[in-house]
Amino acid sequence: MSPSFTILVADDNPVNRAMMSKTLQKEGYRIVTADSGKRARQMATAEPPDLILLDICMPGESGFDVIKHFKSNARTASIPVIFLTALSDVDSKVEGFNLGAVDYITKPFHPQEVSARVSLHLKLSIATNSLINSQAEKLRQLTEAQTSFLITPEQEPGAHFGVHYMALHEAGGDFYDVLHISEDIYGYFVADFSGHDISTGYLTSSVKGLLKQNCTQIYTPMESMNLINGVLVEILPAEKYLTACYARLNRRKRVMEIVFAGHPPVCYVPADAPARLIGAEGDPMGIFKSTLFGIVSLSVSEGDRVYIYTDGLVESPATKKMWHSETEKMLDACEKGRSVPIEQAPRTVSDHLCPNRETQEDDMVILAMEI
Amino acid sequence: MDLKAIGEDLGLEESEFLEIVELFLETADIDIDRLKQAIISGDRQTLTEAAHSLKGSAGNLGFTEIYRLSKEIEAAVRENTLDSLGPVMEAIEAFKVGIQKALETRTT
Repeated sequence: MSPSFTILVADDNPVNRAMMSKTLQKEGYRIVTADSGKRARQMATAEPPDLILLDICMPGESGFDVIKHFKSNARTASIPVIFLTALSDVDSKVEGFNLGAVDYITKPFHPQEVSARVSLHLKLSIATNSLINSQAEKLRQLTEAQTSFLITPEQEPGAHFGVHYMALHEAGGDFYDVLHISEDIYGYFVADFSGHDISTGYLTSSVKGLLKQNCTQIYTPMESMNLINGVLVEILPAEKYLTACYARLNRRKRVMEIVFAGHPPVCYVPADAPARLIGAEGDPMGIFKSTLFGIVSLSVSEGDRVYIYTDGLVESPATKKMWHSETEKMLDACEKGRSVPIEQAPRTVSDHLCPNRETQEDDMVILAMEI
Repeated sequence: MDLKAIGEDLGLEESEFLEIVELFLETADIDIDRLKQAIISGDRQTLTEAAHSLKGSAGNLGFTEIYRLSKEIEAAVRENTLDSLGPVMEAIEAFKVGIQKALETRTT
């Protein structure tokens, strides 16, 4: 099941409900709507949402009546409520805050403002709640992460991905994960821990747990990586760091945002154009508290593919080959994989790049996804 | 009227926006009927509610003229000048027809 956040939109105006639903669904939220205050009360009590957008001016029970009810009921008391109110109505705004609303949005509203405020207040709500009740959840997530360590395409068919993973040692230095963020949003993460001298097994399970907690739709991919970096700086042993690439795909908006943390470029294979490399400079993770990652935003189309891979695939210490000189080969290999189903494409690319597998000098991961 | 441009400004794809415009026209018809009836009967409560509804949906969709005219109705109720609303209603209907035509052009 995806960890999507649920927003309750309570507004008697059907056009406003439709606008807010469409806008927020595009961001990956699950939307439930109520056309009256009474209905909003019933719905929120039956299935408490993560946030409520509440119109003040509704016939019958007003937004004020409804929030009073929410705040006096244990099941709904901690849910952030954002009021929708007319621009000039200062008294309503003050009254809303007094009754426990976290914010207001003035009408007429711009959909993108709604979306920005919703994500802001979900973040604040999580920060507040996490101090109180998320410790048990974190432990549960870590345990779960360890038991289902490396995800397979069969476990997450909606992600349309394929992967080829080869580890030199039992606890490999390379790591990947695929995250189902919400109905149309998936995250793809590939990382390479520096060195193989210390077992990275326990670190990779921590990273998997951190991904699960921080890669949600309320954070931008850059924010997610910064949050994870903040924890890694604290927990990684000295001299240990990781290079990583995190791509988040929103199928509905047809946008892929890719964060680079000292990682080789990705290979983008548009359905109707030649393959090309896309990358950005960025610091590795786990070294600096305030760090600078590279980011690229791609407009993608159905049938396009993106390959994320670790440098073991294209670098060779023995022949002094470095990825920046060898990645041209990658383009050629990805072109070769065009007609192969996505689940098998990474293996085809790997076979083309490394025909002599016994000479492999480093771990490697190729993760490919199709839009 | 460029519906595509208005939709883009709101961050919505054209098909999504047109769907909402269609919903707007349906609810606007109901609101306009209620307004006309209420002007005849002098029902100030219904006038306020229907004008509020029309104002809300028009404002958020970027139909600023209808938004402005709906506010005029609210003001007329407050100031008890319902007699002045004939031309306002005509203007609202004319803008609604304009939106209807723009929608038909985009969907045919």
